[in-house]
Amino acid sequence: MAAVQETIDQVRQIDVDQYKYGFETEIEVDKAPKGLSEDIIRFISAKKEEPEWMLEWRLEAYRRWLTLEEPSWARVHYPKIDFNDLYYYAAPKGTTGPKSIDEVDPEILKVYEKLGIPLREQEILAGVQKSKIAVDAVFDSVSVVTTFKEELKKAGVIFMSISEAIREHPDLVRKYLGSVVPTTDNFYATLNSAVFTDGSFVFVPKGVRCPMELSTYFRINEKNTGQFERTLIIAEEGAYVSYLEGCTAPQRDENQLHAAVVELVALDEAEIKYSTVQNWYPGDKEGKGGIYNFVTKRGDCRGKNSKISWTQVETGSAITWKYPSCILRGDGSRGEFYSIAVSNGHQQIDSGTKMIHLGKNTSSRIISKGIAAGFSENTYRGQVSTHRKAENARNFTQCDSLLIGDKCGAHTVPYIEARNSSAHFEHEATTSKISEDQLFYCLQRGIPEEAAIALIVNGFVREVIQELPMEFAVEAQKLINISLEGSVG
Amino acid sequence: MLEIRNLHARIAEDGTEIIRGLNLTVKAGEVAAIMGPNGSGKSTLSYVLSGREDYEVTEGDILYNGESILELDAAERAAKGLFLAFQYPVEIPGVATMQFLKVAMNEQRKARGEDELTTPDFMRRVKEAAAKLQINTEMLKRPLNVGFSGGEKKRAEILQMALLEPSLCILDETDSGLDIDALKIVADGVNALRSPDRAVIVITHYQRLLEYIVPDSVHVLYKGQVIKSGGKELALELESNGYADIIDAAA
Amino acid sequence: MNIQTTNRLTVAEAALVEAYNEQLSDLPGDGAVFAARDRLLDDLKTGGLPTRRIETWHYTDLKSLLRNVPARDRRAVAEATAPLVAGSEVLVVRQGVADLRSNVDAFEIRRYAESLIDGSAAAGLTALDFDDAIGRINGSFVRDGFVLDIPADAELKAPIELQVSHGAGQVHTRFPVNFGAGSKATVIERHRAVSENAAFVSTISDIALHDGAEITWIIFQSQGEFDTHLGQIRVNLGKDAKLRLFVINAGGKLVRQEIQISVTGEGADLTLRGINLLGGDTHTDVTLNLGHNVPHTTSTEIVRNVVFDRAKGVFQGMIRVAPDAQKTDARMACNTLLMTDDGEFAVKPELEIFADDVQCGHGATVADIDDNHLYYLMARGIPESKARAMLVNAFVDEIVEELEDEALVEALEDVIATWLEKHA
Repeated sequence: MAAVQETIDQVRQIDVDQYKYGFETEIEVDKAPKGLSEDIIRFISAKKEEPEWMLEWRLEAYRRWLTLEEPSWARVHYPKIDFNDLYYYAAPKGTTGPKSIDEVDPEILKVYEKLGIPLREQEILAGVQKSKIAVDAVFDSVSVVTTFKEELKKAGVIFMSISEAIREHPDLVRKYLGSVVPTTDNFYATLNSAVFTDGSFVFVPKGVRCPMELSTYFRINEKNTGQFERTLIIAEEGAYVSYLEGCTAPQRDENQLHAAVVELVALDEAEIKYSTVQNWYPGDKEGKGGIYNFVTKRGDCRGKNSKISWTQVETGSAITWKYPSCILRGDGSRGEFYSIAVSNGHQQIDSGTKMIHLGKNTSSRIISKGIAAGFSENTYRGQVSTHRKAENARNFTQCDSLLIGDKCGAHTVPYIEARNSSAHFEHEATTSKISEDQLFYCLQRGIPEEAAIALIVNGFVREVIQELPMEFAVEAQKLINISLEGSVG
Repeated sequence: MLEIRNLHARIAEDGTEIIRGLNLTVKAGEVAAIMGPNGSGKSTLSYVLSGREDYEVTEGDILYNGESILELDAAERAAKGLFLAFQYPVEIPGVATMQFLKVAMNEQRKARGEDELTTPDFMRRVKEAAAKLQINTEMLKRPLNVGFSGGEKKRAEILQMALLEPSLCILDETDSGLDIDALKIVADGVNALRSPDRAVIVITHYQRLLEYIVPDSVHVLYKGQVIKSGGKELALELESNGYADIIDAAA
Repeated sequence: MNIQTTNRLTVAEAALVEAYNEQLSDLPGDGAVFAARDRLLDDLKTGGLPTRRIETWHYTDLKSLLRNVPARDRRAVAEATAPLVAGSEVLVVRQGVADLRSNVDAFEIRRYAESLIDGSAAAGLTALDFDDAIGRINGSFVRDGFVLDIPADAELKAPIELQVSHGAGQVHTRFPVNFGAGSKATVIERHRAVSENAAFVSTISDIALHDGAEITWIIFQSQGEFDTHLGQIRVNLGKDAKLRLFVINAGGKLVRQEIQISVTGEGADLTLRGINLLGGDTHTDVTLNLGHNVPHTTSTEIVRNVVFDRAKGVFQGMIRVAPDAQKTDARMACNTLLMTDDGEFAVKPELEIFADDVQCGHGATVADIDDNHLYYLMARGIPESKARAMLVNAFVDEIVEELEDEALVEALEDVIATWLEKHA
C-alpha cells in the first residue's frame, strides 16, 4: 500500500534533529582528571566530604569491579567502552552540593528554564488542578538545588541529594544503601557503587503520605563525562510516595555513559510509585553519538502488603539496558511494571523487568508496549519467577510490539520460572504493525495519515500513559509523538 | 452530485479487475440502492469511491460535484463530504470513541478552513446525536468499536455520519448482522439525514433494508457493471425472482 | 560469542573424549566423514558442554547436569516390539544398529552406516551453530540409522515407524529423510529402552519437505529412568509444504529435544504440538528454533506440560521472522500444570521480528488444576483423585485429538493413560 510506503520513507528520513534538548551550555567546571583509579575515587569522596566508611564502601566496589566482565547477553551492540577515557566527576565551578536557588549560577537556572523544569517553588498548572512538585536538579555530577525541602521537612519527609544525605543522615543511608542492589550485583552497578557522584535521597517515615510529587531532573552537560547517579528511596510502614525522574543531554558526536543505580525499599503496607521519562540524547540519524543508558533499578517490597510500581517512558538514549525490578519479599506484596519503549533512528533498547516472587500471596503485573521505527532494535526482556515457598504467586504479563517500517526489529524474550504448584502465571505477547484497515478507517473519517498514526499509537500506549502522574502524562504523550516525528504529527 | 463514468478498477496487489466499465449517476437528494450478488463488486465500489489505496483506477472517472476526485486521498475526500459507513467497522484499541470523533470532526473542519469546535460545543453535538440513535454516552468512552456488539458498531457508524454531516453517504451492507430493532433504529437515523442537498448510496444484498430506507433508484451490479437500473420496484422484483433473470437478460 | 575455553574437562566431557578414542577403530566412515567427526569432537573438547551462560542452554546446564557418560556396551541387546500403530511399516534400530532385512516397495531406503562408509553422509555431519552440542556429539559418534527417500506424489497409507531400542551404553542414530514434492506420509520416530541400565542416546532426524508435501511426524520418547536422551530434528519446509510435528516426552532422566525448523518456501505451514509428561527426578527440555524466512508462511505451536514429583521442565520457543518474511502468521502457546511444589517449569517463548507486516504472538500460562473444574466433577460424585486425573488427561488429550487419525490418537491416548496411572 503506497500510503504506508510513504510513512516508512518518512520514518527512514527521521533524524534526531527533532531532539529538542540538544543544546549545550558553556559553564566553567571543576573536573577530576580523566580515567578511573583508587585516587579518582578518593577525589570524588573527598569532594563530597564523605565519611570514611563511604570511601571504603566505594573502594571495595572498585576492587570488585576490576574483576568483573562487561555483560554481553543483552541484544545491543556497541564498540568497547574505554573506561579510562572518561571523566568521572564534573561539577559547575564552585559547586559541591545544592544551594539555595539564589546562589545557583544563572546560566544553570537558564538551562532548567529551557527544559521547562520549575526550580522556583511554585505551583504548576496541570489541567485544571494546581499542584506542587518538588525538584532535585542534578547537573552532571552534582545536585545544584532541591526545592520544597522545608515544606517536606514539616511533613517529616526527607528529600535531598544523596551526597547531603550521606553527611546529614549517615545512619539511614548506611542502613539501606546497597541493601537492594548490592555492590556486587552486576558490572555497571558495581562501577556505579565505586564512582557514583550524586542523585536523590528520599525518606518517608511511618504513616506519612508524601504531600507532593517528588522529582529529579538529570542533565548531562559536560563532554566525555559519565553520569553515575545513585537514588535511594525508603518508604516506612504505611508511607506513600510518588517520584518521577526526567533525563536530557546535549547533542554530541561521541557516546556518553550513564550508569545509574536506583534502590527502593517499601516496608509494611508502604507504597512507592516510581515514574521515569527518559529522554537522553539518542544520537543522530547515522547513529552517531547518544547516551549509553546502562541502568540498574530495583525495588524491594520488604514489608507485608507493600507495593512498588515502576512506570517508564523510554524515548531517548542510543542504547538502553534497563530492567526495573521488584523483589516481592513481603507476604501480600505487589509489583507493577508499566513500560513504553520507543526506538527510532539507530537506537537499541533492551529493557524489561524482573518480578521475583518470594513471599506468600504476592502478585505482579507487567504491561509493556514497544514501538520500533527506523533502523532501531527494540527488545523486551523480562523474568517472572517464584520461589518454592511463594504460595499463590500471581503474575499477568502483556507485552505488545508495534513495528513501523521494515528495517527495524522488535523482539520479546520472557523468562517464566514456576516452582510452586499454586503459582498462576499468564503471559501474552503480540507483534504487529498498524493495520491498513485501521489506517484507512481513520483516513475515511478525514483524519490525515500523520494524525491517524499518532492517534493509533497513542491508543496503543494508553494503558501505560494512564499510570503516569497526571502532570506528566501529557508531556510523555507529546514526547512519544516527537520521537516518531516524520511518521506521526 | 456523483457521476461515475466508465469506471475500471483493479486490486493493486495482483491486478485483478473488479470494476469493469461502471456507469452511475446519483443526484443530490437521491437515495440510490446498489444491489447485486456476492462478488459483483459492491464493496469494491465503496472502497474505490472513498479512495482506498489497495485499488487502482485504470480507466474512467469519478466526478463529485462536477470535479474528478481520483487524485484526492481518502482523508481529502472525507473532508469534501464523502462518508463511508463500513460493513465491518474496525476496532482501534486504546482510542476512546469520543476522542476519535473529536479528532475526525476537527481535522475535517481544519481541512475546510473552519474553526475547531470547542469542547462544550462538541459534547453538546455528540449528546444530541447519540440520544437520537439511542446510544448510551458511556459506550462512547470505550475504545472505538472494541467490544461493541454488531448493532452497536453499526449505530456508532451512523452516529459518526450524523456528526460529520457528509453530503454523500455510502452505506456498505449496513444491514448485515442487525436484528430488526437495531435495523429500524439505524434506518431512522439514515432517514433523518435525508435532505435535498445530500445523496445516499445504499449497498445491500437484500431488499430488507430498503423497506426502511426507501430508495429513489435501484441499480443492479454484476461483474463490475450496472446491468440494470430502475425504481424501488426493481428491488422487490429481485427479492422474488433472484438475480438470475436479470443476469440472463443482460448476457 | 559463546565459545569458552576449558582447561579441565568435566567427568562427562572426559568420558566423551575417551569414548571417541575407544570407538575410533570401529566407527564407520570414509576420510571425509572422519575429518568431520574429528572436527566436531575437537570443538566439543575445546568448547566444552554448554552451560547456562549460553542463552540457548539457559535452563539446561548440560555441563553440570550430565554427570557421566556410560561407555559403549558391546554386549547389550535390545529386542524390537510391536509398533505403536498396528500395520505400520516398522524399521528397527537395535542397540544402535539398523536392521534392514528387506526393501520396501513404496520408497527408497538404505542404512545410514552405508552413507557413512561411502562418504555421502559427510556433508551432513555439521553443527548448526556454536551452541549445537547435540550436532557435535551426534556427528562425532553416529553409527547408523536409516536414509529414506519418499518419491514425489507418493501417498503412504501405513505409517512408518522408526523404532530405536537400546539396552544400555551408547546409541547414536541419524535419519535423513527426503519427502518428495506432493508426497503424503506419517512417520513415527520412537525411542525406547528395554532395560533399566543407563544409556546415553543421541539422535538427529534431518528432514526435507519438498513443494506441497504433507507430512505428519511424531517423536515419541519413552527412555528409561537413568537415560540421557539428546534428540534433534532439523526440518526444511519447501513451498506449500505442510508439516504436522508432534512431540511427546514420557521418559528419560535428562532429556533435550531440539526442533530446528527453517521455513524456506512460500505458503508453507507448520503445526507443532508437544506434550511433556514429567515425573520423578528428571529434567526435560524442549527447545524450538523456528525461522520464518520467506513471505506468506504460517505456524502454530502448542505445548502442554504436566509436572509431577521433583521433575523439572523447560520449553524454549524462538520464532524468528526474517526481514523479507512479510505476512508471516505465527502463534505459540505453552501451558503448564504444576502438580507439586517440588516440580519446576521454565518457559522462554521468544519472538525475534524483523518484518513489519506480520502477526506474531505467544502466550504462556502456568497453573494448577482449576478449582472450579475440580469442584464441578466432585459435585457430580467423582472422587478427588479420579477427578484430578480426568482433568490432567483432558488437558493433554485436547492436543492428541487434533491428530485426527483414529488409530494414532488411540495409541497415544494409551501411552498417556499408562504414564498417568504410574505417576499421578
